[in-house]
Amino acid sequence: MANVTDFDRRWIFLSIAVLVVALYIAGARSAAPQNAYVQSYYDVIEALPSDSIVMLSADFDPASAAELLPMYQSTIHHLMRRNIRIINVATWPAAPPYTLAEFNRIAPQYGKLYGTDWVELGFLPGDDVAMGLIGTSVKSAFAAEDRNGEPIDSVPIMSGISDSFSGISLLITLSAGYPGILEWIAQAGGRYNIPILTGTTAVQTSDLYAFYPTQLAGFVGGATGATRYLEMVGEETADLHATRDDNQNRMMIQEWAHMLILLLIVIGNVIYFTGRGSKS
Amino acid sequence: MTVLALQAAATERPFFDLLVTQPDTDVLGAWMIALFTLCVFSFLYKDNPFYKFAEHVFVGAGTAFFTLQYYEEGILEMIGDHIARASEAMDNGTLINLGGYAIEPAWAIGLRCLAAVFALMLLVRLVKSDSWMPRWPLAIMVGVYSALKMTGETQAKLVLPVKGLMQPLTDPSAAAWSDNWTRIEETGVFYTFGTLVVLIGTICALAHFVFTYKRTPMLSGMSRVGIVVLMITFGSMFGFTVLGRIALLIERVVAMGALTGTGYQMAGASGDALAIFTSPPILITTLIILVLLIRKLGGHDKDDVPA
Repeated sequence: MANVTDFDRRWIFLSIAVLVVALYIAGARSAAPQNAYVQSYYDVIEALPSDSIVMLSADFDPASAAELLPMYQSTIHHLMRRNIRIINVATWPAAPPYTLAEFNRIAPQYGKLYGTDWVELGFLPGDDVAMGLIGTSVKSAFAAEDRNGEPIDSVPIMSGISDSFSGISLLITLSAGYPGILEWIAQAGGRYNIPILTGTTAVQTSDLYAFYPTQLAGFVGGATGATRYLEMVGEETADLHATRDDNQNRMMIQEWAHMLILLLIVIGNVIYFTGRGSKS
Repeated sequence: MTVLALQAAATERPFFDLLVTQPDTDVLGAWMIALFTLCVFSFLYKDNPFYKFAEHVFVGAGTAFFTLQYYEEGILEMIGDHIARASEAMDNGTLINLGGYAIEPAWAIGLRCLAAVFALMLLVRLVKSDSWMPRWPLAIMVGVYSALKMTGETQAKLVLPVKGLMQPLTDPSAAAWSDNWTRIEETGVFYTFGTLVVLIGTICALAHFVFTYKRTPMLSGMSRVGIVVLMITFGSMFGFTVLGRIALLIERVVAMGALTGTGYQMAGASGDALAIFTSPPILITTLIILVLLIRKLGGHDKDDVPA
C-alpha cells in the first residue's frame, strides 16, 4: 500500500496528456447537450428588432481565449446575421487585438460597414469604475476619437446613443474574471436596468445561476455552453462550421478527460479509506 | 534565427519568407509558440531552466505590453488628448463633455490636471514611505469606490438575489408530472422540488455560519445539511474548474497539432514521418526531453522529489 500512496503524480499528468492527444488525433466528435441558459442567450438575440444597437464588451485575454473566443466569434456572427449593430468595448487591455481582428474578418462576410454597423471604442482602464462611467455616458467615457481617429460624435452608429445606456438595447459581455460579468451586473444592470447576456469561462459559471433570469437574461458557460451555442448559430453560418466541428471534438475529449479524473478520484478515495481502515 | 536558416536551407525556401508572416504560415511565430508552450509544460516534470526562461520572457513581454496599453489609453488619451480637445473647445467657445456633463473647457482642463496631480501624489510613497501625500488620493479612491460599490452591488448582489429567492412554491403554468416524462425539468413537480431545495439549502447553509447562538440539536442538524449543500457547491465549482483547465490544455494541443502541418516542417515530404518529426512542436519536445535527460544523468538535478 505504501508504494501506491507514494505514487508519482506526474504519471497522472502524462496519462491526461496522452488521452487528450490521442482523442485529438482520433478526431471523434460529441454534440453538446440541450441547455436552457444557452437557449435563453440565443432567444434574447433572436428577439431583438433589426437595426437595434448592442454593446459588446470583450473582457478577456489570451489566457481565456480558448473558451471565450468561439463564443465571441459566434456572437458577432449571430448579431450581424440579424442586422443588429454593435458597439464594441473592452475592459481588459489585452482584448482589443482579438476584437479588431475578429470584426475585420467577420464584418465583410455580411457586408457590414465600420461606423454604420459596428464601431470599436477600444479599451477603457478603471475596471468597475470604468463600467460605471460607460453607463453614465458612453461618449465621454472613451476618448473623443474611435480607433480610426474619427470623432465619436461623427460616427453614425453613435448618433442615437445618449447617457445611461439610452439607445442601447442589450449589453453582452464575454467575461473571464475581474472585471467582468459580476461587475457589469452591479454597475450596469443594477443601476440602469439594461438587459445583460454573458459568455463566461467555466470557472465563473457557477457564480451566475443566482442571477438568472432576474438580472441575467441568459448565459453561455464554459466549453460546453460554447459548443451548444456554436451548434445553434453554426447551422446557418458556414464560417462557423469548422469551429463548431472542432468544438465538438473538444467536447469528446472533455468527456473522456472527466471520466479519467473521476476514475482517479475514486481510486484515490478507495486507497485512502483502505489505508485508514488497515491502520485503525 | 539559426533554426530558421536551417529550415530555409532544408526546404529551399527564401529565408525572408520564413522570417515574415505569410498569409498561410508564420514560421518564426510557430517556432516561438511551440518553444514557449512546451517550455511552460516542462514544469509538470519539475522546475527547470526551460520553464525559467519562458517565465522570464513572459513577465517581460507582458509588462511591456500592459505598460504600453495603459500609457496609451490611461495617460496619452486621458490627459494629452483630453487637454488638446479642451483647448480646441476653448478656442471655439464651446462646452466639453466630461463624465456625462457639459462643462467649461477651462474646468475640464483643471479637473483632469487635478486628477493627474493626485496620481503623482500616489507615487510619492516610492520616495518617502510615511509621507502624508499618498493618503489624500487614496482616501478619495476609497470613498468613490465605496460609493460605487454600495449602490450597484447592494442592488445587484443583495436586494435582487433575495427577491429572486422569494418564489412561489408552485407554478400553475408548468406541465403536470404525468404529462411529460421525458423533460421532467419542465414539470410542476420538479419546479416545486427545485424551489424547496433552493429554499432549504439557503437557510441551512446560512445556519452553518451562525456562531453567536447556542448549538441546539435543531441548529446542529441544519448546520450539517448546510455543510452538505456547501460541499455540493464546491464539487460543482471543482467540476467547472476541471472543464476550464482541460479546455485550455486541449486548445494548446490543437495549436501544437496545427504547427505540425505543411509549411512548418523542416524536411521530408508532406505527411511523412520525417516531415512531422521536423515540425516545431516535435523537434522542440525532443530537444527539451534530451536536455532534461542529460542534466539528470549528469547529476545536475539534485532535487528528485515529484512536482
